[in-house]
Amino acid sequence: MGVDSKPGSQSLAPVPSGTDQDALLKAVTDEIQDRGFVVAQLDKVVNWARTGSLWPLTFGLACCAVEMMHAYMARYDLDRFGIVPRPSPRQSDVIIVAGTLTNKMAPAFRRVYDQMAEPRYVISMGSCANGGGYYHYSYSVVRGCDRVVPVDIYVPGCPPTAEALLYGILQLQKKIRRTGTLFR
Amino acid sequence: MSENQIKNYNLNFGPQHPAAHGVLRLVLELDGEIVERADPHIGLLHRGTEKLLENKIYQQGTPYFDRLDYVAPQNQEHAFCLAIEKLTGMEVPKRAQYIRVLFAEIGRIQNHLMNVCSYAMDVGAMTPFLWGFEEREVLYEFCERACGARMHMNYFRPGGVAQDIPAGLTDDVRAWAERFPKVVKDIETLLTENRIFRQRTVDIGVITYEEAQDWGFSGPNIRGNGVPWDLRKAQPYDSYEEFDFDIPVGKGKNDCYTRYYLRVLEMYETCKIILQACDKLDACVGEPIKCVDNKYSPPKRAEMKTSMEALIHHFKLFTEGFKVPAGETYTAVEAPKGEFAVYLVSDGSNKPYRCHIRAPGFAHLQAMDFLSRGHMLADITANIGSLDIVFGEIDR
Amino acid sequence: MSQALNEIAELASLKLSQEITSFEILNGELIFHARRDAICKVLTFLRDDANCHFKVLVDVCGADYPNREERFDVVYNLLSMSHNLRARVKVTTDEDTPVPSVTGVFSSANWFERETWDLYGIYFNEHPDLRRIMTDYGFEGHPLRKDFPLTGYVELRYDDEQKRVVYEPVKLTQDFRSFDFLSPWEGLQGVLPGDEKAEGNA
Repeated sequence: MGVDSKPGSQSLAPVPSGTDQDALLKAVTDEIQDRGFVVAQLDKVVNWARTGSLWPLTFGLACCAVEMMHAYMARYDLDRFGIVPRPSPRQSDVIIVAGTLTNKMAPAFRRVYDQMAEPRYVISMGSCANGGGYYHYSYSVVRGCDRVVPVDIYVPGCPPTAEALLYGILQLQKKIRRTGTLFR
Repeated sequence: MSENQIKNYNLNFGPQHPAAHGVLRLVLELDGEIVERADPHIGLLHRGTEKLLENKIYQQGTPYFDRLDYVAPQNQEHAFCLAIEKLTGMEVPKRAQYIRVLFAEIGRIQNHLMNVCSYAMDVGAMTPFLWGFEEREVLYEFCERACGARMHMNYFRPGGVAQDIPAGLTDDVRAWAERFPKVVKDIETLLTENRIFRQRTVDIGVITYEEAQDWGFSGPNIRGNGVPWDLRKAQPYDSYEEFDFDIPVGKGKNDCYTRYYLRVLEMYETCKIILQACDKLDACVGEPIKCVDNKYSPPKRAEMKTSMEALIHHFKLFTEGFKVPAGETYTAVEAPKGEFAVYLVSDGSNKPYRCHIRAPGFAHLQAMDFLSRGHMLADITANIGSLDIVFGEIDR
Repeated sequence: MSQALNEIAELASLKLSQEITSFEILNGELIFHARRDAICKVLTFLRDDANCHFKVLVDVCGADYPNREERFDVVYNLLSMSHNLRARVKVTTDEDTPVPSVTGVFSSANWFERETWDLYGIYFNEHPDLRRIMTDYGFEGHPLRKDFPLTGYVELRYDDEQKRVVYEPVKLTQDFRSFDFLSPWEGLQGVLPGDEKAEGNA
C-alpha cells in the first residue's frame, strides 16, 4: 500500500507485509471508522491506483505474442496483478509491443498508440521490438520500436520468457511509483 | 420519394484485432451483414526472411525457420534441415531421426492446442484456452530441457540434432503423453457437443475436394474432405514409415467444424507417435545424434581439446560454415498446418543462393475470399480460426 | 518413383514437344523447362492428363540469376495427390517480358504470382489483381533481386513535428558484415589492397 496517512512521510516503497503493514492498515481502518475519511497524498494514491490495475493492450505482432499469451494464462496468471488484457486502445494504460515491428505495420502501430489515453506506458518486448534483433538488417523492419513511440521498459530475449515479461511489468510498476508524477 | 441506392459498406478489420491471429488486415465489403468480398492485406509482418537467408550461412539460417511459424517452430527447422541433407547427401543417424520425430510431434501438439483453443476463444469459449495453455507450458518445459530454449529451439541441425536429449526426458514425455489424451477429452467436452460452438462452425466455410485442390490446400484443411493425404505417410521422411498411426479424415462436408475436429483427433494420434518415439529412443541410448562427418557437423568439445583436426573443423564450421554442392531441391514436410516446404537453390557456396519458403497458411489465407463470400460478418472469425493462420510464416 | 517420373517426363515431352524444351531429373525431382508463352498449356496438360493429374499447384516462386541473358526463373511446383508425385516447371524471363498468368488454370496461383511480382518485379499478363502483397504500401523496388541491398533504401521513424511516420534514407550505425570466406589461395582475384597505389606511381 502506498497510502500513507501521516503527512510529510517520504517513504516511496510499498510497506512490506508484516506487522508494519498490519499496523498501517489498522490505522487507516480506524481513521475511516472514526472520522469517515483518510487524509493522504494525492499523487501517492493516484500512483497506487495506477500500478494496481495496469491494463495492457493486446498488441501481439509475432513470436513474442505467444509468450505474452502464456503470461496471461493459467501458469503465470497476470490477472493477479490486476493486469487484464484489453482489445481496445481506449481502455488500456500500457501497450506491450510483442514482436517484430515492420515498416508496413508502423503507421498502424503509431495510430493505436495515439488513441490510447494518458497516462500511457510502452513495454518493448523482445529483441525485435528493442532494436530489430535478428531482423535488424532487413529492408522491411523498423530497427527498434522506440523509433516510433517512446518506450518505458525494454524486455530483452528472443523471445523473452513469460517470466521475463512478468519481471518487466513489475519493473514498470516500480517506475510508475518512483516517478510519482500526476501528469506525464 | 426517389428510391435510395443502398451502397455496400466497407469495413476495415485489423491489423490490430484480437481475432485476427496476428496482424491480418481484412478489407470487407458488406451488404448489410453479409460479406460480399473479403480482401486480406498481408505483409504486415513481412520481415524479409528470404533475403536475410541469402546473406547468411546455412547454420545461421536455421533460427529463421523457428521464427516463421512460431507456434510450432520445430517443424519448420525440420524442412530446412531435410533440404540441406538432400543436397549434401548427409547420413542422419537413427537416434537423431527419432529425436526429430519426437520433437516434430511435440510441435504438432503445440500448434493444435494453440489453434483449437484460440479458435474456441474466437467463437466465444474462454475455458479451453486456460486448460490448453497449461499443457503448452509442459511442452515448453520439455523443449527447454532438450535445448535450453522454451520456444525457438534451433535444435534440429543439418545432419542431426544439436545435442542429445537429457537422461530421463523420455520417461517424463511418456508419462505426459499417457495423461494428455484425458486433457483433450476435457477440452472436447466443452466444444465438440457444445450447441453454441456447433452453431458457430457447422456449415461455415464449406469447400469441396476439387476446390480445395484448386486453392492449394494441404494438411488438416484438405483431409477434411475425406482424403488421407499426409506427407508423413505418402512421402515419409526421417523414419516416419516405422511409426504406426492413423490419419484422421473428415466424413462429409469440409466445414469449420470438421477442420476443428480433425485437429483434435490428430492430437490423439500424435500421442501414439510420441509414445512409440520414446520407446525407440530408449532402445538406442548413447548412439550418435548427428552426422559423423565433421565437414558438416561440429566435433565434440572433448575431442577438440586433444585433436588438432577437430579444432580446425570446429573453427571452419563456425566461421565459414559448410559448403553445399550446387543443385536445387523442393523438400516438403507435413507441418501441423499443412505442407511446409523449402525450395532451396545452392550455387556451391556456404550461403543459400535462393531459399523460397512455401508456407501452408499462405495458400489457405488466399482462399479466405472464396470461403467467406455470402457468409455473415461474425463467421469471418470462425473462418480465420479454422484455417489455422499464423502470420510469421505467411508474411515471412 | 523415378521410374514413374521418367515415364511422365517422356510422355509430356512427346505430347508437348513444342512447348517443353527439355526436362531433367535432379535429386529424384522432375524438372521441366518450358517455353514462356506456353506455360498455361503445359500446366493445363499436366493437370488434366490422366497419367499426370498434377491437380495441386503448391507453389510459384521466382529466382534471380543476374548474369544470364533472361535473368529470372519462374518456378511452378506441382503435386499429384492421386499418383503421389511432384513435378517442377520452369520458365525464364527478364525485367520487361511478361509471363502469362496461370490463375485461369489454378486459382492458387493468384497470390503466388502477386508475391513473385512484388519481390522480383516479374510481370504477369492477364492477372486479375496484380498488386503488391508483401512489402510496404508505396514500397519502391523489388527486394529479392540480387541487386537490391539487404537493408533497402529507406527506413522509418516517427517525426514529432509533423506528427506522422516519415521515411528517410537508411543510416546504419554498423553495416551488415558480410565476410568473404574464400581462402586467399583459391579466391584471390584482382589486386591486393595497397597495390593500386604502387601502380599509380609507376
